[in-house]
Amino acid sequence: MAQEKTDSSRWVERYGDSMYHYTLVRVRDGSIAEDIVQTALIAGLKAQESFAGRSSEKSWLFGILKHKIMDHFREAKKAGDFDPLPDDAPDPGDYDAAGHWKNHPRDWKIDPEKAAENKQLSAALAHCLDGLPDRFRRLFVLKEIEGLDSAEICNEFNIKPTNLWVMLHRARNQLRQCLEGQWLKK
Amino acid sequence: MRKLKMSCADTSPLISERMDHSLPLMKRLRVGIHLAMCEVCRYYENQLKVLRKLAQHLGREEGTTEARLSPQARDKIQKRLDNGI
Repeated sequence: MAQEKTDSSRWVERYGDSMYHYTLVRVRDGSIAEDIVQTALIAGLKAQESFAGRSSEKSWLFGILKHKIMDHFREAKKAGDFDPLPDDAPDPGDYDAAGHWKNHPRDWKIDPEKAAENKQLSAALAHCLDGLPDRFRRLFVLKEIEGLDSAEICNEFNIKPTNLWVMLHRARNQLRQCLEGQWLKK
Repeated sequence: MRKLKMSCADTSPLISERMDHSLPLMKRLRVGIHLAMCEVCRYYENQLKVLRKLAQHLGREEGTTEARLSPQARDKIQKRLDNGI
């Protein structure tokens, strides 16, 4: 009976770079991303019998990769990397005494639905993400790139909702300032 | 009764928060009132929506593969796959 087969000898050639890119966006560090890709592919090798051909080989491998990336975040939690810090409080430096923006947001004149067409802006976001403090970057990735529910993030990483809102706001505010400062200068 | 008028410092965290879940009625009302009057906070809201779309795009499986596995990592992983460990 014909059955879908995997061809592990060609995984690196076929999917190595895209798996690496996918991971690097999420974890920032190149050597960690390499390790995760390797772990995922080895896990795939050991689980080849479970590949039933219901999905493509590629999406099956990406499914494994996604699990390994979440494992990485769980390890970060064990290491205390999600614990709140005193400076996670709202940054009073963003507003003046009357509560007005000091560095106020400008009109980007970009339709969110069309934002992804802007290649420069996408590249700029990748750059700006790497400028965020680790803890902010991680939460932004889980929320906006992984698309996790806030409740899931709070449960999984033992974060208070109010803390999550504060940190996400600060991450977003830093990102928009970075994008404005570097790429959207008039 | 809490005042309806809020500053940008009060409002902007709520603009961010409501990207993720709907706010209780009172907060929603106050954010709405502020946004109706404050152009700059409307820009902030638009920016957060742009950020979300960009982030989703950046994280796709078919993301632009500017990042490549280093030749060393490639060899190392290939060897492990070939050896079955």
